[in-house]
Formats: sequence, structure tokens, C-alpha cells
Amino acid sequence: MTAPAGIDPRGPRFNAAITAVLTLVATLLGLTGLPAARTASSWAIDAAPLAQRIAEPAFLLIVAIAALFLWGVLSPRTQPWAALFRSLVQPRLTPPAELEDPRPPRFSQGVGLFVVGVGLVLHLLGVPLALPIASAAAFVAAFLNAAFGFCLGCQLYLLLARIGVIRTATP
Amino acid sequence: MSLSTALIVVGALVLTAVAAGVLWRTADGRRRGSAGLRVAASDLPGGGLAPRATLVQFSTELCARCPQVRRMLTQIASAHDGVAHVDVDLTDRVDLATRYRVLQTPTTFVADADGRVLARFNGVPRRADVEAALAALPAFEVTR
Repeated sequence: MTAPAGIDPRGPRFNAAITAVLTLVATLLGLTGLPAARTASSWAIDAAPLAQRIAEPAFLLIVAIAALFLWGVLSPRTQPWAALFRSLVQPRLTPPAELEDPRPPRFSQGVGLFVVGVGLVLHLLGVPLALPIASAAAFVAAFLNAAFGFCLGCQLYLLLARIGVIRTATP
Repeated sequence: MSLSTALIVVGALVLTAVAAGVLWRTADGRRRGSAGLRVAASDLPGGGLAPRATLVQFSTELCARCPQVRRMLTQIASAHDGVAHVDVDLTDRVDLATRYRVLQTPTTFVADADGRVLARFNGVPRRADVEAALAALPAFEVTR
């Protein structure tokens, strides 16, 4: 398999910036909501029925965030933030100095999906603080990418490619 | 958790993330020692070392920051006599990555005419740091 066409490296960073804001809000919602709520001697989530766990605002927002990650994995070009970048932001920028291989950023979306997915499942199972911890972890990765250009998921992709779990070489 | 406590926690989260990012930025591309490494000319494309210094860049297929380093090192090499830039593709060469202890790309060596590594940069080096490493070498004399 040959390397796919390069993408503007600022696109994933724009995506990460929006993701950072969303995950930060989700963390705040989680900390002020059911996942962090205490009763006299235990966690409120223990006694909360499934319907209440689902109706929790942090849960709903993180489901939306997870859906966006999934979209980014399955169809990166049509993902809303990517489309927004191409239509609104990119025309206002000078062309990029070089293009980036799209595979590591795409893999990063999958890492984000996994992290918040674990939080969602644990929350439904009644684990307290699962949601804010998961969204905080996703926030740190997204923020580092947006603000410093450091792509944690990309580094993981490269590590897996190095040890041979992911095959990228042209035959 | 009350809103004010939550805001404090979130604030601490952001500050921690900023600190981590600044730390990474500071360490990235900084000049390091060479651990006594020596570049074998046979490992380089073109098969040889330049007479004064060789800027050996290790890259891979998926390396997003390699092209900009390649451009910078090529410019530096063309501005100095006897200095050449070579790019070693590690995509299928895990043996070379192990031999030269390359953990990330781009990684850059400044090697002298005998292949001794005088300086090493993991990540994107600063131009001034590469030039300073070159300046430490004896001046190039064209032998006739």
C-alpha cells in the first residue's frame, strides 16, 4: 500500500482545538453532575438507575464527542470540523509549507474514541468519576495537539508501526 | 462537586496541560551528546561522508516534521563548504534505528569526516544550534 495523499497539517489541529473545548466542557459537566456527586456515605451514581445515568448531561455530550471521533475514523474528509476547516478556515490561510500523512491523525481519532468510549461504558456500569476522568484525558491530548502541535495519538501510531503491529511499508 | 470547586479542578487541569506542553517544547530539538556513536559511511545513501561534516537526518515515511528539517539542513549544508546533508529513511530499516538509537524522527546527527557523531538532535533542531555545532569543527581546507 502506497502512502495516501497528504493533508494540510493545520486541519487536525483545528479539529483538536474544537475537541479540546468540548472535552473541557464535558469535564466540567461531569464534575458538577452525577459522576462526582456524593450522598451521605457513598456515590450518588450507585443508586442511580440506568435511565438517569444516560440522561446525565456529561454523558450525552461525551456520546456526541465519541460520535465525532468515530466519524473522524470512518470518513475523515466529511467529518464536520474537517469540512468546516476546508470551507471557512483554510481559504483564509496561505498554503501549507508541506503536507502531512493522514494516517497518524486518523489513528488519533480512534484513540480518542477508545478513551471516551471506556469512560462511557464505565459510567453506564455505575463507576463514579469515569466520565470526567475520560474527558480530562481526551482534553489533555487534544489541547497538547492544538496548542503545541504535539500529537499523542500520532506518537502511538508510530510506535505501533515500529514494532510491526501496524503495517505501513510499501511492499 | 460545587461549580467553584469544579472550576478550580478544571483550571488545574489546563495549567497542567500547559506545563506539559511547555516542557515538551523545551526538550524537543535540543542538542544532546552523541554517546560515542559513529556513523558508518556504508549506512548512508550515496555511500560516503562529506569532507568536513555530514548532517545525517533520520526520517520515516510518516514523519510529519521531517520535510521542514530536511529543507533547513539542506540550506545549511549548501551554505558551508565541505558539508553535506543526507537523509536516511528508517521506514523499513529497524536495524539502523537500533544501531543509531533513533527513537523518534526527525533525528539529526552532525558527524565529522570520519563519522564520529559530534552532536545529536532529537526532534526539530534550531538552526542556530546546528550552525553552532558546525562552527566547533576545524575550518575546512580544500586540499589540492
